[in-house]
Amino acid sequence: MSFEPKIIAFCCNWCSYAAADLAGTARMQYPHNVRIVRVMCSGMVHPELVMDAFQQGADGVMVLG
Amino acid sequence: MLDNKKIGSVMIVGGGVTGMQSALDLADAGYYVYLVEKSGAIGGAMAQLDKTFPTNDCSM
Amino acid sequence: MTLSEVTNISGEVGNFNVTVKEAPRYVDMDKCIACGACTEKCPKKVDSEYDAATGKRKAIYVKYSQAVPLKYQIDGSQCLRLTAMAKGKEKLPCGFCEQVCDAGAINYNDTEKTHEINVGAIVMAPGFEAYDPTNAKVWGFGVYPNVVTSLQFERYLSATGPTEGHLVRPSDGKKVKKVAFLQCIGSRDENTCGNGYCSSVCCMYAIKEAVIAKAHEPGLETSIFYMDMRTHGKEFDQYMERAKNDSGVNFIRCRVNSVEPQGANGDLRLSYVNNAGVQIEEYFDLVVLSVGLETPKHVLELAEMAGIEVTADRFAKTKDFTPVTTTRDGIFTAGAFAGPKDIPQAVVEGSAAAAAVADVLAPARNELTKEAVFPEERNIAGEEPKIGVFVCHCGSNIAGMVDVEAVEAYAKTLPGVAHVERNLFTCSQDAQEGLAVRIKELGLNRVAIAACTPRTHEPLFRETLKSAGLNQYLVEMANIRNHNSWVHDSKEIATKKACDLVRMAVAKVTFSASLAPISVPITQTALVIGGGVAGMTSALNLAEQGFVVTLVEKSAKLGGNALKLDHTWSGEEVAPQVAKLIDQVNWNEKITVFTETEVSAAEGFVGNFKTTLKGKDGVETVIEHGAGVVAVGADAYQPTEYGYGEIAGVVNGIDFDSADKAGKKNFVFIQCVGSREEGHMYCSKVCCTHSVQSAIALKKEDPSRNVYILYRDMRTYAQREKLYREARSLGVMFINYEIHGKPQVTKNGDVIDVQVIDHVLHRPVIIKADMVVLASGIRPKSDFKTLSQMYKISLDGDGFFQEAHAKLRPVDFATDGMFVAGMAHYPKPLEESVAQALAASARAATLLSKLEVTLDAIKAQVDSSKCDGCALCVDVCPYHAISLLEVKATAEGAAPTKVIDVNKAKCKGCGLCQATCPKEGVAVAGFTLQQLSSQVSAALAI
Repeated sequence: MSFEPKIIAFCCNWCSYAAADLAGTARMQYPHNVRIVRVMCSGMVHPELVMDAFQQGADGVMVLG
Repeated sequence: MLDNKKIGSVMIVGGGVTGMQSALDLADAGYYVYLVEKSGAIGGAMAQLDKTFPTNDCSM
Repeated sequence: MTLSEVTNISGEVGNFNVTVKEAPRYVDMDKCIACGACTEKCPKKVDSEYDAATGKRKAIYVKYSQAVPLKYQIDGSQCLRLTAMAKGKEKLPCGFCEQVCDAGAINYNDTEKTHEINVGAIVMAPGFEAYDPTNAKVWGFGVYPNVVTSLQFERYLSATGPTEGHLVRPSDGKKVKKVAFLQCIGSRDENTCGNGYCSSVCCMYAIKEAVIAKAHEPGLETSIFYMDMRTHGKEFDQYMERAKNDSGVNFIRCRVNSVEPQGANGDLRLSYVNNAGVQIEEYFDLVVLSVGLETPKHVLELAEMAGIEVTADRFAKTKDFTPVTTTRDGIFTAGAFAGPKDIPQAVVEGSAAAAAVADVLAPARNELTKEAVFPEERNIAGEEPKIGVFVCHCGSNIAGMVDVEAVEAYAKTLPGVAHVERNLFTCSQDAQEGLAVRIKELGLNRVAIAACTPRTHEPLFRETLKSAGLNQYLVEMANIRNHNSWVHDSKEIATKKACDLVRMAVAKVTFSASLAPISVPITQTALVIGGGVAGMTSALNLAEQGFVVTLVEKSAKLGGNALKLDHTWSGEEVAPQVAKLIDQVNWNEKITVFTETEVSAAEGFVGNFKTTLKGKDGVETVIEHGAGVVAVGADAYQPTEYGYGEIAGVVNGIDFDSADKAGKKNFVFIQCVGSREEGHMYCSKVCCTHSVQSAIALKKEDPSRNVYILYRDMRTYAQREKLYREARSLGVMFINYEIHGKPQVTKNGDVIDVQVIDHVLHRPVIIKADMVVLASGIRPKSDFKTLSQMYKISLDGDGFFQEAHAKLRPVDFATDGMFVAGMAHYPKPLEESVAQALAASARAATLLSKLEVTLDAIKAQVDSSKCDGCALCVDVCPYHAISLLEVKATAEGAAPTKVIDVNKAKCKGCGLCQATCPKEGVAVAGFTLQQLSSQVSAALAI
């Protein structure tokens, strides 16, 4: 089986999370291996959360805001 | 003027940015608002714009 | 009420009876869940109004993808079945939408409804329509496919538009390389369209479209053909300069009279005179007609039916001191109906109309509004998690791509989950009631909803929890529709991902806690700073609405800059109106006026400000107030150029009004003195109109006078254009000059020589003048800075006060509870100041009409056992909500410790503090590190 990265995306409620919602409304297809965690502002993502994610096996972390 | 009983509700004709702003302010100040829009959805002309000056923000 | 029109208005102010006709939608709004299945199946395609006919829609459609309400509608004039029904046919075609609608929302037998509604006042905000250039023929619109309107171009630029933002020619799909924008199409043109007025917004939107188009297509050439660039709004001139210098948009001052095709390949030919005076022919791929605004026919009919008068330009008639009041008592106007205007001004008027309504209806406030009542909240502290999971099918939106039964089965295996069930539509009324019953029956203490997006539906589920006696913050949503079933095409993958998302939501909600609502009491009084027309209008309106107001004025008397004005642009006399305002303010028992007084200190936050006023005598008074309006006006620029103060006969605009003009023959006005140049790159907005008005008066008094106006762009915007027309017809000479060729003013014996480069002859000419009038601009006051620091409200680059959002929050400050009105915000004419002042009152009244404000509980909370007062978070907080407290030591002799304190009223819950804190001493409730990391762990668990 080919490598499938696990990606955690921290999305700001007001922009990137809303954009992900709109992608749905527009039925835009994208890879399934992203897991979105909603935050109220990308500024709330503590560096430890990112390290935490990597430690637990994430291959990539996106902070979108 | 104050002798006549006044109705605590307002009708706003037009559901564009102007009408919506008016409706929100009146509702927040304690008046019952009827917002009347001719088309099937509110939003008006601004919803048709792609981006707006000055920050080129999306107008949605 | 959508698809609705007002057909009759009877009664009078305070008690109108309005008849509203509601057209059938043929779709049940309560049932439609906007899945879009109907549109997909609908066989009938029609031009989309939303896309200005550049794209297609179906006969069953939603106006646009983010429409509110997001409910579909059937166009009865296009639907195959409905048109057949209307013709009385027996065998009915199609019916596909009904077949595919899982929600059963289609109702072909829907009928028109009539509503009789009793209201106290009416606001008319019916808007405008874009001028349709089809019939004018000269620009080839409707004949040559590559001639489009600016509204169509806007849709081509949009990612949701017909070409998804790619710029290609409508005729052949060829990539566009050269675009021409033609200004004043349907504006400033009485011959072709009968619209003599300026539409005010086209110059700015054309620049914006040109800049954005260039950003879309690198290398694109854009040229704007114009008569005068009217970029008179806040920061507009700076934007134009950037468009010229950074984006490379060409500006050509020439009215192009026709568009010709060049052969059959779709290219278009324009002939024009360039800036150097040379006749040129040039070819373009695309010609954009910058169409103006006009009042639609149905709105004129509405106006006639409502009995309100319109102007010669067919806009609602208003007065300058009451800019949102129509000619019929109790009916108000806002937005483009009362004259062409841009978005911020329309929003200002929306609020202003609200204020005007409130002035009339204040005694009836809160009579018809109801507060919802909820049962007492259950305390769940200490309980083991008992989570209910509700999986929504969303018709086939989720269930079509996700094996919802598998998700249900999986959810049952998760720790803490006590109950799982599926609903066809979890958001439906009956499912909501069922949810509340389950919470009570089973004693659930947390809920996870696997459905759509929390951005639209979380408030609904929060209300449901409240109604079931559970704290509203104990719900979490798993977005298995927008982020899953809608974006993946494999059932296996989508089902697996849905399980993951449910696991993440359950993990997070396990650590959710009841959050107490945060409310802040409000002092129901206002402080208005500045006693000019804006300040007085604002104070008076708030007082009429029943609030106690303090009005502070720095000088010895009320009136401000208006004391120096003779007439408004429309010719109304200023002095009697200002005198009336001063009287009303002085006699209003709810208003306390402090003159010769300044603000010396301020503290507090929304609902709870404390301002110290200092009189000339040094006496200080402390005022507690819930809201504040900054209406401190602006200063007139005192010129240092053109021999002002040195050459007798060189005066500024204000001096000129009172100067002796008897016996003088030759007058020269010089525009843009101290405006629109380096360091002051903004338009002072009022000077063009003032000079033109003065010129008209001079000519009317003595037609043999020679009056010259030297200008850069004549900005007699909106309905002021008629003054410009009148001045020209009276023989006022208008001479254009450029910033690099400013006029020279020298004394020459008894007369003054003004030398300017004539734009037609392209050589210098000398005008001998008896009087030179400098149209000097408007400048921010020197004390803006101290005021801005005291209230933590910011200034813009030009030194005026900065509103919270240029378009949508034009009178609010980013600091809650503070508002701006009048020239303190930006130079503006009187009626715009009045509108903004009313708007500020309306915005303030939304706060002051409540005893307390309830705030979302998603705020930073301090864990005092972990916070050691390092204060790293204090500086990063963008809302200045965090302060450092000193805690007295408990043990004797020990040093005092420090801890931070979050002001909940100022905190917006962004969590910058949380991300900065090295000790986990502060966290945003509902988004704690524990909650977020549990979600991350759950996401990565498998």
